[in-house]
Amino acid sequence: MSTVRASVRWIRADLRARRVQALLTLLAVAGIVTALITSATLLEDGTNPWRGLFAESRGAHVWIHTKDAPDVAALSRLPGVVQVAGPYRTAPVTLTLDGKKSPVALREMSPTPPSVATPLIREGRWLRAGDTEGVIVERSFATALNLKVGGPFTVTALNGASHPLIVVGLADTADQGFYPEWTPGLAWTLPEVLARVEPALGRSESVTGLRLADGEATLPVVHGAVTLLDEEIQRMSTWREVRASMELDNRLLGLLLALFGVTGLVAAALAIANAVGGRVLAQTRDIATLKSLGYTRSQVFGVLMAEHGALGLLGIAIGLVCGQLIASLTLYGTPILPLSPIPLLAITGGTAAVVLVAVALPAWRGGLTPPIPAATAGPPRGHLSRMARVALLVRLPPALVLGTRDAFTRRVPAFLSIFGLAVPMMMITIGLGCWATLDDFLNHPERVGQAAALVVRPDKLPAEDAARIARADPQVLAVYPGSEVSALEPEQTRSVLARALGTSADPYPFSVVEGRMFAARGEAVAGQGLLDLLGVKIGDRVRMTVGGTPLIVHLVGRVVEPDQDGEVLSFGMDSLAAKDAVPPQFYSLVLRPGADPSTVRARLLAASGEALEVNRVVNPAERLAVIRVVIVALIAVLSLLGLANLLTASALGLRDHAFDLAVLKAMGLTPRQVAATLVTGTGLLAVLGVVAGTAAGASLVSGLIDLQGYTSGVGAGIGRTPSTLTLVSAAAIAVGAALLVALIPASRAARAQVPAGIR
Amino acid sequence: MTSPVVDTVNLVKIYQNGAVPVPAVRGVDLRVAAGEFVAIMGPSGSGKSTLVHMLGGLEARTSGEIWLDGQRADTLNESAWALLRRKKVGFVFQFFNLVANMTVADNVELPALLAGASAREARQRRQYLLGELGLTDRADAAPSQLAGGEQQRVALARALANKPSLLLADEPTGNLDSRNTRDVLRLLGEVHRDGQTVILVTHDARVAGLADRVVALFDGEIVDDGTIGMARRRPKATVGDVVELRG
Ligand SMILES: Nc1ncnc2c1ncn2[C@@H]1O[C@H](COP(=O)(O)OP(=O)(O)O)[C@@H](O)[C@H]1O
Ligand SMILES: [Mg+2]
Repeated sequence: MSTVRASVRWIRADLRARRVQALLTLLAVAGIVTALITSATLLEDGTNPWRGLFAESRGAHVWIHTKDAPDVAALSRLPGVVQVAGPYRTAPVTLTLDGKKSPVALREMSPTPPSVATPLIREGRWLRAGDTEGVIVERSFATALNLKVGGPFTVTALNGASHPLIVVGLADTADQGFYPEWTPGLAWTLPEVLARVEPALGRSESVTGLRLADGEATLPVVHGAVTLLDEEIQRMSTWREVRASMELDNRLLGLLLALFGVTGLVAAALAIANAVGGRVLAQTRDIATLKSLGYTRSQVFGVLMAEHGALGLLGIAIGLVCGQLIASLTLYGTPILPLSPIPLLAITGGTAAVVLVAVALPAWRGGLTPPIPAATAGPPRGHLSRMARVALLVRLPPALVLGTRDAFTRRVPAFLSIFGLAVPMMMITIGLGCWATLDDFLNHPERVGQAAALVVRPDKLPAEDAARIARADPQVLAVYPGSEVSALEPEQTRSVLARALGTSADPYPFSVVEGRMFAARGEAVAGQGLLDLLGVKIGDRVRMTVGGTPLIVHLVGRVVEPDQDGEVLSFGMDSLAAKDAVPPQFYSLVLRPGADPSTVRARLLAASGEALEVNRVVNPAERLAVIRVVIVALIAVLSLLGLANLLTASALGLRDHAFDLAVLKAMGLTPRQVAATLVTGTGLLAVLGVVAGTAAGASLVSGLIDLQGYTSGVGAGIGRTPSTLTLVSAAAIAVGAALLVALIPASRAARAQVPAGIR
Repeated sequence: MTSPVVDTVNLVKIYQNGAVPVPAVRGVDLRVAAGEFVAIMGPSGSGKSTLVHMLGGLEARTSGEIWLDGQRADTLNESAWALLRRKKVGFVFQFFNLVANMTVADNVELPALLAGASAREARQRRQYLLGELGLTDRADAAPSQLAGGEQQRVALARALANKPSLLLADEPTGNLDSRNTRDVLRLLGEVHRDGQTVILVTHDARVAGLADRVVALFDGEIVDDGTIGMARRRPKATVGDVVELRG
């Protein structure tokens, strides 16, 4: 097309004339894409570590446990099988540590790492030939048992013989899920060590892994293996089970990301639309000139689309690169896989679409510019509103009044500026609310139903002794006996967890958010998940089989229930049949405020001579720590977007009032007053946007989190609004930054000599 | 002879100012032959700008016909007008309207590039025009660095870049001092002498004196058309006058 050359010149000249603005657009778009990709990658990786582990270890899709070594050649001939791992001989042993026994699968491993399903050494080293005592321990198992490289690993074989082994390395694997969700724990050692620990072949099994060409085609391979090995197979596991056991509940994260993503995009769209719109307005005369030279409406549209759209798309490309880079930097040490293609495509495509639409609207308006350049695009003359006149009457400074009037001379851009600031501010508030909710989880675990910090299991001691030792500790506030049994729902199709904790007279401090606490035998409280599952409401009576005993349960309240998707029934020990209640399976310990659970745990272990099993309760917020990274990243990007909007608003304000400046000065306003007028114009929009956004965010946030809590079964009642102090300081910082941004060009303009006849 | 460059038949333009119709041009029949230099005079608000805007397609006519180079133009849509302007019409406005972000050279090359010239052709044409207008050394300057007269000379160069068959100038000297006015008029005269058809809007009688023919407009109607005599009277002397004035 003949216009290309001319258009390229025009675009080049325009970009050169507004480098900073172009750079800001580029940064804003790149920032939002980077943030989206980073958070999506982190979420994908954080909530599903299987993907990364499987790829890194070149994992096997199917694991087959057989009595004796299977026919490897026949297995590898199964269609779809690419490589075979093992067979590895594996013996069941018992690890004894601090008097505590844990079952372990001890698996043979060669001194040279295998090419399929390699354990990934994270600490320590690989096995060496002649390592007569060395073992490598699976990392989640090691973490749970506090095993360290160089530490003892004393195992007892089935024949009762004890073997002191030493931990030489800790490794990640995708062979099985994390401990304790997946038991027994896994450890690797040299074949000769295994032969020494468990000499009897009949007491071990053989484990063979199959790596497939296509993980989706697992089922045919499983069928093939079953047909081939038939009776020999003891059990099998597939990558799907491993993945499922590693996966965290990422619904909250997903919802948050989606929310951030969508509003981030809206904010980006507003920033771009504002920037392009402002530019088009400022260029009305030039565009008219282009048309008088022979540009058609669609060609003007095309030029604007090409310039601003290309800028946006370039931003997306930069964002893609940065996203990959940052994601690979974030968790150094543990490598992170790049985002899988579908979310990546969704982010890229979504942003591109948003950018193009945001550019297209003002570009279309630009195309409609009449071709007579003499018609200048002055702002509609503002008139003093009644409010402004009142303001003058009560002797407000003239700068304030004039600025206020100026702010609204262009209604649509003013509204867009307010909106463009309000949306990022709203999201920042919501982000702060999520942060506050996480803090609340951590600081007040009792509010999410985790009043107890420690759980003590009597293990080898009589239950009464365990309770006595626990009560004797100075930092233990209360001890509640507990037992867990399974309860069958009325249709007897699915069992749920029934938890007896405390007694009806002295109930465990559940966080009751609806109804009341159970107070008599047969009364119970439940999580939202259970209420939904049974389709019942508070006050209903449900016939259930609890631990094998029929019981009519009177549901009297709803609690915040972070476990088991909220599908948990809780009542007092006195509601439980004696066979389940005596002795209690465990004791939940509520500590005094400020007590450190690990110290108390150590003390209890010491007091009981290591006979007790004491476990810390894992706070759900600890697993959600990745949200904080997401929140920080998005706040940064949203601030950038807000800044871009602000610059546009202030540039437009300046342009509109360049002419008025001379008049204002002629009226006798000092340069400082003139600057104040300009700042007031922009600042007012900023204040309105920030206040509106903060208010909207604050009123939305706890509702949103509760909605999420409701859908995930935890139940409403967890959402927190950021503290007033946080909100006020966030708003103050935003407004302050806004005024600062407006002040610099305004004071420069106020001091400049403006010829009266500029137009 | 060849068809006239401009031919209008009962051309009418009525603006709608809210509910009030504002007739700006009321039935103008104007025929301009190739190579003619027509000055349109009249008091402010008499419809001069409206008329030339319609001739260049910047504004749609309410009724009547416009023929450019023997081609019916009033029925064209906006894009077709734009394409026509690219090839046949050059505009000079009162306020120069150079693209502020582009250098003088780029401003002048723009219409040539738009008309499909190669970068090389556009550059040669620009060098020639700026040379003719005495602006060679200002090629890389930004428009804001130029004085008003210089800017208008650049605007003139830009209007001539695609060798239009019709040059429309709406009060090109309205914003210039007398020295710059003289410069610009001298250039217009030279361009006309080289065969360029020019329609010049002015309300300055001295400026109009340069033209072959003066059309007087009043309240949107032609009240006087001084075709006869003037063109024949002293076609050469016109340019000479300007040169003398300049000296
Ligand atoms: N866009 C417009 N809308 C309404 N009326 C207009 C517009 N442009 C010009 N006019 C009116 O049309 C008449 C002719 O204007 P114009 O052609 O600009 O006159 P001149 O150029 O001779 O001063 C004037 O009365 C003017 O007010
Ligand atoms: Mg006029």
